[in-house]
Amino acid sequence: MEQANPLRPDGESKGGVLAHLERLENQMSRSRKQSEEPQSVQAQERVLGTKIQKLRHLRDDLKAAVRHRRGSVKACIANVEPNQIVEVNEQEALEEKLENVKAVLQAYHFTGLSGKLTSRGVCVCINTAFEGNLLDSYFVDLVIQKPLRIHHHSVPVFIPLEEIAAKYLQTNIQHFLFSLCEYLNAYSGRKYQADRLQSDFAALLTGPLQRNPLCNLLSFTYKLDPGGQSFPFCARLLYKDLTATLPTDVTVTCQGGEALSSSWEEQRASHETLFCTKPLHQVFASFARREKLDMSLVS
Amino acid sequence: MDETVAEFIKRTILKIPLNELTTILKAWDFLSENQLQTVNFRQRKESVVQHLIHLCEEKRASLNDAALLDIICEDVDLFDMKQFKNSFKKILQRALKNVTVSFRETEENAVWIRIAWGTQYTKPNQYKPTYVVYYSQTPYAFKSSSTLRRNTPLLGQALTVASKHHQIVKMDLRSRYLDSLKAIVFKQYNQTFETHNSATPLQERSLGLDINMDSRITHENIVEKERVQRITQETFGDYPQPQLEFAQYKLETKFKSDLNGSILAEREEPLRCLIKFSSPHLLEALKSLAPAGIADAPLSPLLTCIPNKRKNYFKIRDK
Repeated sequence: MEQANPLRPDGESKGGVLAHLERLENQMSRSRKQSEEPQSVQAQERVLGTKIQKLRHLRDDLKAAVRHRRGSVKACIANVEPNQIVEVNEQEALEEKLENVKAVLQAYHFTGLSGKLTSRGVCVCINTAFEGNLLDSYFVDLVIQKPLRIHHHSVPVFIPLEEIAAKYLQTNIQHFLFSLCEYLNAYSGRKYQADRLQSDFAALLTGPLQRNPLCNLLSFTYKLDPGGQSFPFCARLLYKDLTATLPTDVTVTCQGGEALSSSWEEQRASHETLFCTKPLHQVFASFARREKLDMSLVS
Repeated sequence: MDETVAEFIKRTILKIPLNELTTILKAWDFLSENQLQTVNFRQRKESVVQHLIHLCEEKRASLNDAALLDIICEDVDLFDMKQFKNSFKKILQRALKNVTVSFRETEENAVWIRIAWGTQYTKPNQYKPTYVVYYSQTPYAFKSSSTLRRNTPLLGQALTVASKHHQIVKMDLRSRYLDSLKAIVFKQYNQTFETHNSATPLQERSLGLDINMDSRITHENIVEKERVQRITQETFGDYPQPQLEFAQYKLETKFKSDLNGSILAEREEPLRCLIKFSSPHLLEALKSLAPAGIADAPLSPLLTCIPNKRKNYFKIRDK
C-alpha cells in the first residue's frame, strides 16, 4: 500500500525516498564525522594537554626537591664549625705547595747533581750533559755511617769510582762528588761525540769507527769527498785526560801517498789542529759543509 | 803532615815503577835536588818509599801537593783492541807453538776468546777449548772451567800482559750463568735507586697474605711474620737475585761440644768437612728460607755475604 508522501512527485518520490534517505544518511554520517574530527582532535589535544601539565608538575616537583636538598646541604655546612672549612682550604693550599716542591725537586736534576734522602743515607743522582744536551744519569747510593760507604751504584765499571772514593770519600765528600761528576760528564761527552760521528757522518767514514769502552781511544779513516779520488786520512785520537772531552794527542796520516803534496800536507796538519781544538762531530760537520760548498761552487 | 796525606803519597809512590820514579819526582818538583840526592834508589822499594815520605814530612807536603803528584803519574788505560789481540796471541804462540786462538767482539765491550791447546809436539785439541770473556778497560775476565791445569798460568800471564795489568787473581766465584757472574762482579745486581723523578711511590710491603680473606680470620703470629719479612727485605733487597748453582764451604775447624770428655772434642787437629749447597737458583732459595719458616731470620752471614763478597767458595778456619 502506498503511503501518502507530502513531498510527492510520484516516480521521484520512490527514488526520491530512498535517495532522500540515502542523502539524509550521508548527511548524518558527514556531520557526525565533522563533529567527531574536532572532537578527536580536541580529545587528543586534551589528552596531550593533561600530559604536559603532568610533566610540568613533575618538573616542578623535581626542581623543588633539588632546591630542598641544596638548601639542606648548605644548612649542614652552615652548621659545621668554621675550623673545618678553614682546614679544607689549608689542605688545598698545602697540596698545592707540595706539588710545587715536588716539581722543583724534579727540576733539580737539570743542575747535574741532585740527591734524595733515603732511610740509610742519601741517593745522589748525577745527570751528565754535553753542549746543552742532557745525557745519561748515574746514581750513587751512600750509607751515612762511620766510615761513609757506597751501598750500590750504577756507575760503569770502567770509571775509576773506587779510586776516587779511596781518595776523597772519607775526607771531603764534596770533592768526591765533583770529581766523579767530572769523570762521568767527560765520559758522556766523549761517548756522545763518538756516537754522533757514527750516526751523522757515516758517509764520510771509509771504515768502522774503532772505540774502547771509555771512548778515550778512537781511530777511524775518513775522506773529505766520499765519491772522489782523493786518498783517505787515518786519524787516531787519544784522550789521556779522562776528565776532558777533547783529545790530548792527535795523529792524522794520509793512507796511500808517502810523499804528500804540500796541499795535502797542509790539510793533514790543519785536520790535526781541528781535532785537538773542536769536538769531533763539529769537525766533521765543518767537513760536510765544506764539501757542500765545493759542490755548489763546481755546479 | 796529616796522616791521610802521608798515606795517600805513600800509595801513589808505591804504584810508580822504580825505573820511572826519579823522572816523576823531578816532574813533581816538590822535593828539592838536594833532598832527592840523599835517597838511595837502589834499595828495596819499601825503604825508598819510607825515605821519600820522611822527606815529604820535612817539607810539610799538603793535600794539594799530593794531588799534583797523583795527576802526574796517573796511569790511564788506553785500551786498543787490536793491540790486545795481537799481544795475547803472541804470548800464547811464543810459549806453545801449537795453539789456536780466535777472537769475537760483542756488544758491551766484551771480547770472546777461544783457545785450543796443543803442546810443543801435538796439534791443538779442538774438542776441548777454553773460552774466556774479557771486558776491556775493566780488571775482570771470565774463564770456562775446561782448562788443563798446566795451561792456566800461561793463560793468566797472557791476559795480564795483553791487558796491561800488573797481576791476575783468581776469584772464588763460579757459576754457569755469565750474566749473573757479571752482575755480581760488577756490582750491578741492584739497580733500583730512589729519586724524586720516580713515578711509583714506595709501596707498602705486602705480606703476601690474602688481604681479601675473611676479616674474622687473623694471623696469630703476624708480628713475627712481619719481622721476618722486614729482615729478609733488608738483607736481600727488592731486586731479583743473581743466579748461582752452588755455595761450597770447606771447614777446618775444631769440634765444639757441650759434652765434656767427648772424643771428637779432644782432637788436637781440626776436623775437615765440606758442605755444599746446591740449587737451580741458590740465592732465591736462601731468600725464601726464613719466610718459609725453614730457617730463623736473620740468616747466617756466611750465606748472605755471597754477592757482597763476590764468593761462593769459602774456606773457613778457626781464628
